[in-house]
Amino acid sequence: MGKHLHENICEEHLFSSIFNKHAKDLHNLLYYKFGDLLNPKDKVQDAFIKLWENCAKISPDKAKSFVFTTANNLMLNEVAHHKVVLKHQQTKPEISTTENPEFLMQESEYNDKLQKALSNLTEAQREAFMMNRVEGKRFKEIAEILGISTKAVEKRIYGALKKLRKDIKEL
Amino acid sequence: MNREELISKWLDNNLNDQELKAFKNLEDYDDLVKLNNNLQAFKVDNYHTSKQLENVLSAIKSKKQTPVHWFKPLMRIAAILAVCFSLYYYTTTLDTKISTEFAQKTTIKLPDASRVSLNAKTFLAFNRKDWKHERALELHGEAFFKVAKGSSFKVKTTSGIVTVYGTQFNVKQRDNYFEVICYEGLVGVTHNSQETKLKPGDSFLIIDGKTIAKEKENRTMPSWLNNASTFRSLPYKTVIAEFERQYHVNVTLIGIDSEQLFTGSFAHDNMDLALKSITLPLHVTYSKSNNTITLKGE
Repeated sequence: MGKHLHENICEEHLFSSIFNKHAKDLHNLLYYKFGDLLNPKDKVQDAFIKLWENCAKISPDKAKSFVFTTANNLMLNEVAHHKVVLKHQQTKPEISTTENPEFLMQESEYNDKLQKALSNLTEAQREAFMMNRVEGKRFKEIAEILGISTKAVEKRIYGALKKLRKDIKEL
Repeated sequence: MNREELISKWLDNNLNDQELKAFKNLEDYDDLVKLNNNLQAFKVDNYHTSKQLENVLSAIKSKKQTPVHWFKPLMRIAAILAVCFSLYYYTTTLDTKISTEFAQKTTIKLPDASRVSLNAKTFLAFNRKDWKHERALELHGEAFFKVAKGSSFKVKTTSGIVTVYGTQFNVKQRDNYFEVICYEGLVGVTHNSQETKLKPGDSFLIIDGKTIAKEKENRTMPSWLNNASTFRSLPYKTVIAEFERQYHVNVTLIGIDSEQLFTGSFAHDNMDLALKSITLPLHVTYSKSNNTITLKGE
């Protein structure tokens, strides 16, 4: 704690290290939570610029929660209560390109259903679930990023999985 | 170990070999793997941390040395000053206009030491800014000038131009009536591009386009400055017109020759006395109603 008193985020190297540590997680979190439409990259940038402007007032150990909260608020300011649609990557590595047309059609149908089911998840469910499944983060890491307990993360992710499977079956 | 626990552990990448075996034996194992595989397609675009950091740092730096910070308010102040200045310039170069109403007299000082007294219903305009270069003013009505010594001084009227060099004189320009009386110094009157020089006591009078000779004036200032109008052998209509201006009334003449000459005077501060002054000599009776005065000849 005493060490922090002398450290200042206004120093560029410290600011950069905070950025390197958290920017990617923040960006991915915002993306999974709010989708691509609201420019998560810009929000990350704006949040860090705000951190810089207030660098004298914020101690390094508060920096992470500051940028996460700021970016989240920036997003919420713009959310027009529309459904979050995650982009389906067309360039996904195909395991086998020689699949028969029927299989390909089924596959694309499945992906459409999956996309819809994902947008039906709650923001909290989706961010935790996608961080876990797609980014390969473990419950503990996600709990750290979100600032909640591991148990809560597990609950969210399990709940999300259950809801997804149910939605896909019904759709 | 139950199904839920297994799936939870799988989600957390925390299955040991034995558990993995059990997980694979779950009936929905294939379903879960398929879902997991297809989910990967929704992965976010790669986020280039170092590139984004560069963006943020450059944004911060460009924000820091922003000249807009002071430039914008400065421009605003400049705009306000420009408007104020142009307004000031516009108003100061405007002609100064002074006019008197019925029964009103006023004396003003011109930009130099000259003074002008305006009689009732008179309009005077001059330019304060150009005064140093050209002492000129425009006059409709009657005014007495006390001109300070200096360059030529011009009084422009619709009937003619009066030019002077430090003097006292009276100019009276009314409908079909133009009179200049010089009280001191030398006055030049240009009428129909002909200049007449007036010495102290001389007067220049034109009524209905005709020049009328007058006796020497021996007063030092026009009588109206002492609240009285004096007439010497002037048509009765000019007397009535002056009376109307001084008392703000309408005068109707019945059975009276308005061209007959009148000599006499009337005061500006007592209407009844004034009416007697202008009616008794001509044996005329008068009656008043509201703002209208009717004069009846016998």
